[in-house]
Amino acid sequence: MTPLLEIKDLHASVGDTPILKGINLTINHGEIHAIMGPNGSGKSTMSYVLSGRDGYEVTGGDVLMNGQSILEMEADERARAGMFLAFQYPVELPGVAGMSFLRAAVNARRLDKGEDEIDQLEFVKMVRAKAKDLSIDDEMLKRAVNVGFSGGEKKRYEILQMALLEPQLAVLDETDSGLDVDALKIVSEGVNMLRDANRSMLVITHYQRLLNHIVPDYVHILANGKIRRSGGKELALEVEESGYAGIDDAA
Amino acid sequence: MPESMMQPDLQDVATLNGVQAAALARWQERGWPGAEDEAWRFTRLASLDKLSLRPADANLANGTGNLSAHALPAGAHVIRFHNGMLVANSLENMPTGISARLVDEDDLGAIVDLAPANHPVTDLSVAAMTSGLALDAVAGATVTTPIILMFTGNSGSVSTHPVVLLRVAKGAQAVIAEWHSASVGLSAPVMAIDIADNARLDYAKIQQDSATTTHLAATGIKMGEAAVLDGFQLSIGGCLARLEAHVMLAAESADCRLSAIYLGRRNQHHDITTNMTHARGHCQSNQVIRGVLDGAARGVFQGKVHVAQDAQKTDGQQMSRALLLSRKAEADAKPELEIYADDVICAHGATVGELDETQLFYLTSRGISPEVARAMLIAAFLDDAVDMIENADLSALLRPHVTAWMLAQEGSVNA
Ligand SMILES: Nc1ncnc2c1ncn2[C@@H]1O[C@H](COP(=O)(O)OP(=O)(O)O)[C@@H](O)[C@H]1O
Ligand SMILES: [Mg+2]
Repeated sequence: MTPLLEIKDLHASVGDTPILKGINLTINHGEIHAIMGPNGSGKSTMSYVLSGRDGYEVTGGDVLMNGQSILEMEADERARAGMFLAFQYPVELPGVAGMSFLRAAVNARRLDKGEDEIDQLEFVKMVRAKAKDLSIDDEMLKRAVNVGFSGGEKKRYEILQMALLEPQLAVLDETDSGLDVDALKIVSEGVNMLRDANRSMLVITHYQRLLNHIVPDYVHILANGKIRRSGGKELALEVEESGYAGIDDAA
Repeated sequence: MPESMMQPDLQDVATLNGVQAAALARWQERGWPGAEDEAWRFTRLASLDKLSLRPADANLANGTGNLSAHALPAGAHVIRFHNGMLVANSLENMPTGISARLVDEDDLGAIVDLAPANHPVTDLSVAAMTSGLALDAVAGATVTTPIILMFTGNSGSVSTHPVVLLRVAKGAQAVIAEWHSASVGLSAPVMAIDIADNARLDYAKIQQDSATTTHLAATGIKMGEAAVLDGFQLSIGGCLARLEAHVMLAAESADCRLSAIYLGRRNQHHDITTNMTHARGHCQSNQVIRGVLDGAARGVFQGKVHVAQDAQKTDGQQMSRALLLSRKAEADAKPELEIYADDVICAHGATVGELDETQLFYLTSRGISPEVARAMLIAAFLDDAVDMIENADLSALLRPHVTAWMLAQEGSVNA
């Protein structure tokens, strides 16, 4: 079966600075891969390159989703094709009502698939049900997108969007950062509920802690723009113990 | 007569007397603002040089023009002006509590007192008046039926000079909208508004003239004690538009909200100029101005807040924000505070910015197309101003125009 995602010798720059320096990674359907690495190693850059953010220029290599290169696709096209990025720093949208935002996102995907726009009542019901699983109350749903949300609320709201959009590939960028133990549990449970044979995830984290809750199939260590080591979930524990020092040379 | 551009042919009106003759004399003395006129620094009329216009006359009153497809509020009373000429039968069956008739000499005197003084549009349009209407809401009356002054026109070679006196007498309430949807050479309306003690006016203006129309408006508003104005101006049409409003807070505790939105694309030029005078204490004024400019459009906001020495406890707020969607678009803002009292709260600010790339990416990363994402962010930007409108009928009248503007295609959204 064609892998869901194939990253082949991917090089990318921001401005004139090369950040990603030859990444190779294959993710099959249903697999969870963790990317760990020190700050500044290029984890967020990789998430932006995958999701198609402007200003992140691919200078070499390719990214295939279901066997097709996605590099020529815009961010919104990739999203409708099943890509989802949970942001490390979710963006506040003052004046944009949460429910209209969620509905616009869901409808964009439905229209793309030739389906009708979702029924308003049905939609509200669906959002409420999924929000409840993530301990997101109605009051939070009524606010402008991410405005006045705490760090933990923002992360839960990202997972709510993922639950509504049902992506094939979810890239979770440091979804654990800024979360206390309880919030981490809620978010991880939310993510685990979305584990599915047809859904793959790329879980980016700085700390091993998250991977106790979202147990990955594979762990990769990214340092200085390149994957330096790959292994099973034990690799995360090993790195936790020995730290990232010296990992650059281990490739 | 000074050498100035776009000089309407005033032969037919040269035999005036009284108030109109005096206005004509002032106009002939000064004419259009010249290059040295500071108040017109950002809005030059020189590009209109080649227009030769003649004030519309009764021959052009026939025909009714097209009512815009946008819905009017249910039960609204519409007073029609076509090519600047009042359509007489639209004064029939006015709602109870408000009367409408043609202006007389006394009314003209009142209009000149209320309208912006020493102003070319006031003087020219009073002199060359195509139709004059006096609207009076009688003391104590609460008229909730919206009255829509609908301005249509279809003659590119004429200038239109409708003059309106609107008096809301003591304790009365009225809801009035001006809706300009004309295709004429020059549309130069004068609105003279007197809101007496404890009276309230909900007022909206929609400037949606054709792309070849120059719209130069002079609006003067005087507010009595504890009078309330909830006012809004939307400038969306025309090739060059200046909506100039002067407000005189003439007695204590008046409350004036006068917000505005301008939306420009292609080579449009929108100018919102306000002059808010706090002559007495304990008054509030609040102006929320939002502009969105695409293509090579230009936007101007000039807002002067003047607080007289006696006007203690004044609260005067003004905030202008412009959003540029294209590199060729340009926005200028000139906020001015002139404060002679010492116990006041006044604030003003002006910003010019672009859509936030991070916000756009957040939206598109959810599958929302860039076009819809932009529209969502622009709508959010404009909502601060639109939300100021308290009257539901006026809000419903105005909102569809803003939405329609955002949905209309612009070739140069990304330029
Ligand atoms: N927009 C940007 N402009 C300039 N440099 C950037 C930008 N984004 C990231 N970088 C640089 O790229 C490197 C990788 O950053 P990032 O991908 O955020 O790392 P991580 O997420 O692993 O902490 C860092 O050296 C950072 O300074
Ligand atoms: Mg990061």
